[in-house]
Parts: sequence; structure tokens; C-alpha cells
Amino acid sequence: MTVAGAPNQSGATSKQRLPPAGTPNRGGADSKQRLLDPGFLQKLETLSLLSRKRVRGMQRGERRSVARGRGVEFDDYRAYQPGDDYRYIDWNVVSRLDRLFIKLFSEEEDLDVLLMVDTSASMAAGHPSKLLLAKHLAAAVGYIGLANLDRVGVSAFATTAGPRLERLRGRARAGDLLGFLERLEPSGETDLLSAMRRQLAASRRRGLLVLLTDLFDPRGYERALLLARARRFQTFVIHLLADDELAPRLAGDLRLVDAETGRAVEVTVDAEALRAYAAARDAFFHGIERFCFHHGIDYLRTTTSVSVESLVLRWLRQGGLVR
Amino acid sequence: MTLGAPAALWGLLAIPFLILLYLLRVRRRDHPVSSVLLWQRSAATPAYRPSRRIERSLLLLLQILATAALVTGLARPAVLSRYAPGDLLLVLDLSMSMRARDVSPTRFDRARAEALEAASRLRAGRRAGVVIAGARPELLVPLTSDHNTIAAALRGLQPWDVSGDISGAVALAAEHPLGPGGRILVWTDAARGPLPALPQAVYRILGTSDDNVGITMFRAAHGPDGAEALLRVDNFSARPRRIPVVVTRDRTGVYRGTLDLPGGGSRTVVFPVTDSGVFQARLGTHDLLPGDDVASAVLDPAPLPAVLLVSPGNPYLERLLQVLPVARAVETRTADPRTWGAFGVVILDRTDPGPIPPGDYLMIGAVAPNVPAAAVGEVSGPRFATWDRTDPILQYVDLSSVRVARALALAPQGGRVLAGGDVPLLWAYEGGGIRALVLGFALQDSDLPQHVAFPILMANGLAWLGGGALELRAGEVLQVPAGGAAGADLIHPDGRHQAVPAEEGMFLLPPLTRAGVYQLRGPGGAREITVLSADRRAGLIRPGTAPAAARPAGQGGRGQGRGQLSSQVPLWPWFLLGAVGVAMGEWILATRRPGGDV
Repeated sequence: MTVAGAPNQSGATSKQRLPPAGTPNRGGADSKQRLLDPGFLQKLETLSLLSRKRVRGMQRGERRSVARGRGVEFDDYRAYQPGDDYRYIDWNVVSRLDRLFIKLFSEEEDLDVLLMVDTSASMAAGHPSKLLLAKHLAAAVGYIGLANLDRVGVSAFATTAGPRLERLRGRARAGDLLGFLERLEPSGETDLLSAMRRQLAASRRRGLLVLLTDLFDPRGYERALLLARARRFQTFVIHLLADDELAPRLAGDLRLVDAETGRAVEVTVDAEALRAYAAARDAFFHGIERFCFHHGIDYLRTTTSVSVESLVLRWLRQGGLVR
Repeated sequence: MTLGAPAALWGLLAIPFLILLYLLRVRRRDHPVSSVLLWQRSAATPAYRPSRRIERSLLLLLQILATAALVTGLARPAVLSRYAPGDLLLVLDLSMSMRARDVSPTRFDRARAEALEAASRLRAGRRAGVVIAGARPELLVPLTSDHNTIAAALRGLQPWDVSGDISGAVALAAEHPLGPGGRILVWTDAARGPLPALPQAVYRILGTSDDNVGITMFRAAHGPDGAEALLRVDNFSARPRRIPVVVTRDRTGVYRGTLDLPGGGSRTVVFPVTDSGVFQARLGTHDLLPGDDVASAVLDPAPLPAVLLVSPGNPYLERLLQVLPVARAVETRTADPRTWGAFGVVILDRTDPGPIPPGDYLMIGAVAPNVPAAAVGEVSGPRFATWDRTDPILQYVDLSSVRVARALALAPQGGRVLAGGDVPLLWAYEGGGIRALVLGFALQDSDLPQHVAFPILMANGLAWLGGGALELRAGEVLQVPAGGAAGADLIHPDGRHQAVPAEEGMFLLPPLTRAGVYQLRGPGGAREITVLSADRRAGLIRPGTAPAAARPAGQGGRGQGRGQLSSQVPLWPWFLLGAVGVAMGEWILATRRPGGDV
């Protein structure tokens, strides 16, 4: 698990804002300029998504597959059997051992990348908003996948699974990806489990699941993540937080209103209350970290004050999502 | 600590309101957050309990503190110093009403205990004195630093059966310069009129009730129809009473009855008595002042003494002595002092006896050379311009129409002139063992014998000179001719004996402060002395109030306000200063803290 950067007050992040609701998508080129600037795109071209698990794709791609065969990456030897392609007999071994062995290669296949973006109302928090950061990250990860001929799917979720973009492949579909992301607006309550069920039910192949969310689900996140793990998805959780959620800058007698549920909590915020909040926050984070570590789920926590470029080029690399 | 304005403490009720307003005020601002999930998880902390808001709100605490300090300051608190601020003059009321038992054990005992305590609080170098308010105010102990003298004098005091002159005592005390911080501490029940308002006077009013019924007069006398007794009972309380009365003589019942007394009213009964002797009247009541429930009266078989008339012949006097109830009357034309000792009074009518020995003398138209009233000639037609109606000798005597043809031109030095005009016509003297009443003219040179005043004046004069039974008011001083005796035994009404030595032929009795019958026993026999209560109002025990302009030291019987007798150190400026300081601190804190009202 990785924690991306420390919360800072510099706000050194993209100043891009979400388009107002109902803003028409102007096409792929415009969308690229909005979510990914050209310089950043060039840097993304050099990256690829890293899958710790061998995946089985549908087409040849640039990903190690569990299927051995025509790939270029050596995997193993085995004794020759009738019917094997004699072109893969390793003659060097034959000369040393006087027995026939053939070389086995990992067959490179495409990777199914599923980006799940939390669009619940709580994602509107932050400057810039957590949703905008999620969009940037989804765009960057998705573009890396498209550039590497992976199949990229995007789904938005809040209470349930929302709009979904079916598997895209190739750079030419980047405009669709970005256009889809741009249209996402924060609304509704978070129901991660329900959204996960629907999303996984629609996925025929296992692959890489990138979950971009703030995990503020009153029902909990554990069952949803366990469900993805049970379906053998390599899950990468990018936990997005606003700076005010890490260290609320509040004081006095307040009535805190939940952006999703409208539920209110009356608090008197003083130093002790803030200490209690920090303790609850740390316990929350610690619980997530422990849960993900225990279940082999990759976890990255970041705030909206960290730049997208830094997140992708440094922290996602360090977290093992891209290379 | 004392409070000058305790009513201001009602302002403390503002504090609960302050807390209530703090709890109830709706000042929470709506603040949208992405999620209340973490806030709810931290809700187990005490940050969400209303009580915690009180515990933790420094500003509220400061507000409460400022309010409390302000209110307490307005109540004008002060601490009492154990010590008196300066010299003390302790004035004690010796009135009979101070014997009332509505204050335990009595008003006077409580007053004396407090006076002793006040004297013990005197700082080193400070002085104290004692003034008593008996029948007359008296400086009992002048200002002194000797606390033992003060304590001994206070312990020896007892109330008199009089109405104490407390105003006079306070005025007497005020004549003594006390220096800075000096106080006149007055213990009284203020039952008989207003008290003088003096800035340095601190009044301690004792008493809580007016429940008293008392005998205000009891006399027995011979009358034209035989001897009779007069008894008057006053109800000094506001509620009507029904009082049984018993009069005895030598434990034999003389009169028994029941008196219905309205609130504040009185009843007088007159009943015949047959035998002479000491009569005792007793009320069958239980009130707060038992001392006036018993009274005594003496009916002497011969109220007037044995008389020797030394005269060339005076039919007026001779007839009068046959009528007056004298023990014995003897007439002579020869003045022989050696025979005078057997008579209580010697009447020298126009007789010059030369120097006279100690004894009682009525001189008519003559003056002995050894009394300080020389006759410097004669005057014609003198008039009775004035006479002292309050003197017992002139009681019920009207001299307004008496004509005198000529009289001696008396030039008295000392004594007291009882009646006269340009020259003294009636002069009384006591001294050197001689008690003398001098009438400055011969009876034949006036029309006095034709006036009703004549027998009364003679009877009063003989009674004053050497009556068989003596009667006086409580607190008065009495001198009795010793008749050559060296000493006598004075028996008080309570049976106590007191030796009285003779000085210069006279027994100078101590002040007789208790009402009742005293007995003076000497070698020549015994004489009863009836001491009457000083006035009818002595039994009035309803406590009064301290003057508004004076310093009250409390009222009632529990010693309230005793601390007022001590010096006070005001604390209210510090409380007000603290309130201002705390309020400023609260303001600074409130304006510096984020949110402003946390």
C-alpha cells in the first residue's frame, strides 16, 4: 500500500474544473486537452500497466498470459512430446543432455482493465474535487491501458452501478474514454457493494480492477473488495481524500451535514474534538491498510492536493500499478 | 465575612440562566461535509455531551466567574477582624426589662457576655470603659487599658428595678473622646423610647417579646376609715390576660382575686387590711419577667417617729401632734440635748438650742448655729414664689396662697432650698449626722396653719426626718441617722445581709436597686425601707429598634450581627476588580479564538 504525498496547503494540482452539468462532449481531442495535457500524454506513452497476475486475454496483447505458446518471453522447459512444434526444441539443451526439450514461452495477451470511479456526492469535496482527481487518474490509467492495447472499461458508481463504458482498445478510443469521464457528475449515496456486484456480474474476464473512491460508505467497503478478490480480480484501490477530510479546519458549534445522506451531526469542535476526529480517521485508515494487506489488495491513499502527474509517474509506479 | 447588601446575592440567579442559555442557544452553523462517517466514529468522545461543553468551555466558566464576582462585589462583602478598631465604651442598660428571659438566660446576661467578649477583642494599647444606664447614667469605669478592671466591673453588674436612662448613658459616653475607630457599644432592649443616633454608636438590641404582666404599684397606708392597700397590675403585652392575685401578710392570706386585663391595660384593686406589717402581693402568672410579679408593702403601726416638741407654746403644733400618727409626742419648754436621743425627731419651735448633736430636727423660726444656714436678719412679707413639688417633703403641698408676715433672712450654704422667694422659707439639710428641716418663719407669723398644706407638710417633714418606715425609689441613695451606733445590718429583700458602717453619725446606705422591703437593723431597733420600682413603665419589655442613622448590630436574642462590633475590612473593591479583569480576559479570549464562541 502506498500513501501518496503528505497533505499540503500548496494546492499544486490541476486547476481544471468539471464542466457544468449538461455540457456536451466536444470530442476526443477536446477531452484529451481537458483531462490530459499533451506533455503528460507523452509521458504516459512510455508507461504500461503492471499486472502481478498472469491474465488470460482474448487477443494478443502486450501482457504475459497464463497461456504458453507464441510469446517471446521464455518461461520454462519441458520434454518434447509428439505433436509439439519442433521449432521450439532447444538444441543447446539437446547437445548437452542428449534429450529433446522444447522451450515454453509466455504468450502475451491483452489485459482487461476495469476502472471503477466513485461518483457519489461526497466526491465533490476538495479543491480540486476528489471526483476531478479521480477522473484525471482514470483518464491517465485508462490511456496507459489503451496505449498498450489493453481492454479498458470504465464504470461510474454511486448507490448502484451507473453509466458504463464497455471495453475500449487502442489509442483511437481515448477520446471516448475521456469524454465519458468528463460527463461524470457527483451525486447520490455510496453503495460500494451493490455497485461491485453489478459491475463484476457484467465482467466476463478477470483482470485489473482499479477502484477510485473515498471509501465513505456507511455500509463498509470490506465485502465489496472481498467480492472482487473472490472473482480473482487484481484490485488496486486508490483512496481519494480532500485535505479538509484529513484535517478539518473547523471550530465552534457546528451542525455537520452529510453531502450524501443529508444526515446531520451536531458537534462542538475544539481541540479535543479534533483530536478525537484524528483518532477516528487514523483508525479508519489503519483498518483499510490492514484489510488490504491481509487480502492482497493494492492500496494507495492520496489527497486532492497531490498533482495527477506526481501520482501517476511516481506513486502509481511505486505502488506497482504502472511501470 | 459579612455582606453589606445581601439582597444583591439574588443576582447569582443569573448564573443558572447563563448556563441554560449556553446550553439552549441555537448557534450551530450548518456546515456541509463530504461525509459524517468519521465524525460519527469520533462521537464516542465527550465532545458531544452537553455537560462537556460546560466543563470545557473556558469562556462560559469565565462568564460565570465574572458574574459571580460582580454580584458578590455588589453585595458589599467585608471580613470581620476579630479586634475592635479602636477604643470602646461599653454601655449597658440596667433597666428592669433587661431581666426578661426571652433571651437566654436573660437579656442582661447575654448583654454582659457580649460586652465581656467585646472587651476581650480590644487591641493592645486600646482602652475600654463602662457606662451603665441605671436610674441615672454613670461612668462606672473610665477608659482604661486594664482589661481585668473592665471584666471585673462587668461581672459585678446586675439590672436595677428601674427604667434605665439609656439615652443619657449614650450621651454621657459620647462626651468621652475615643479617638479614631472608637466605638460606643450599647446593649439595650430599647423598650422605652427612641435611642440617640450617633455615628460612633453601635446598638445591640436584645429581646424578642413583650409578654409581661407586672405589679406597678403596691401600697398600704392608714386612712380615715382604717388601713387599706392599693394594688395595680399592668398588662404590658398586646394580648388580654387573666391573672390570679394573692396578697399575704406573714403567710396569711389577706386578699385573693383574679384580674381580667385587656392587652396593654391595667387594673387597680383596693382592699382593707387590718394588721400592720409587711404585705406581699404575688401574681399567679408565668411571663418573661418574673421580677415584677411580686411586690411588697409595709404598713407601719406608727408611720411617724416619736417627737419631742421644744416650744414656748404652740397650739397649732400641739394639736397637730395629737392628730398625726406619731409613735410618741412629748412637749417641753426646756432645751436639754441629753434627753433628745429617745426621740426620732426634735421640733425646735422658736428656740435657740445652741449647737445641736447629730439627729433629726425640725426648726421653726429658729436655726441652730452648727447648721450652715445663718439668719442675717428678718424680712417682711416674703412670698412662696416657688417650691419643689417633686420633693417628698412637699408632695401634695400647695403653698400658693400662704401668706407670711415676716421671716428669718436665711443665708444657707449647702443643703437644698425647697420653697421660697427672695429668701429661702423652707430649707433642708443633711450632713454631719444632722438632718434638719428649717421653716424660716414662726407659724404665728403666717396663715400656714389655716391651710390644708400645713398638716401635710408637717407629716411629710416628720416622715422625711425620721419616719418609722422609709420609702424610696429603686436606685436612690439613702442616709439614715445612726443615733450613736457604729454600724447596722442591712437585710435585702432576697434575705442577703450587708454590714453598713456609720460615718459621721449617719448610715450611708448603698444604692438600693431592687424593689422590695429592706430592713436596717441597728442597736436602737429595726426600720423597714420600702423600695419601689422607679416607674410604672419599668415592666415594659417590648424591644425597640436602633435608630436608622446609627450602626445596628443586630436584633433578637441569638447574637446576630455580633460581628458588627468588630472592625470590618471591605472586600467588594477586589471583587469588582476581579470581575472586570475576568470579563476582559473573557473578551480577549473570545475575540482571539477561531469561531469566537467555542
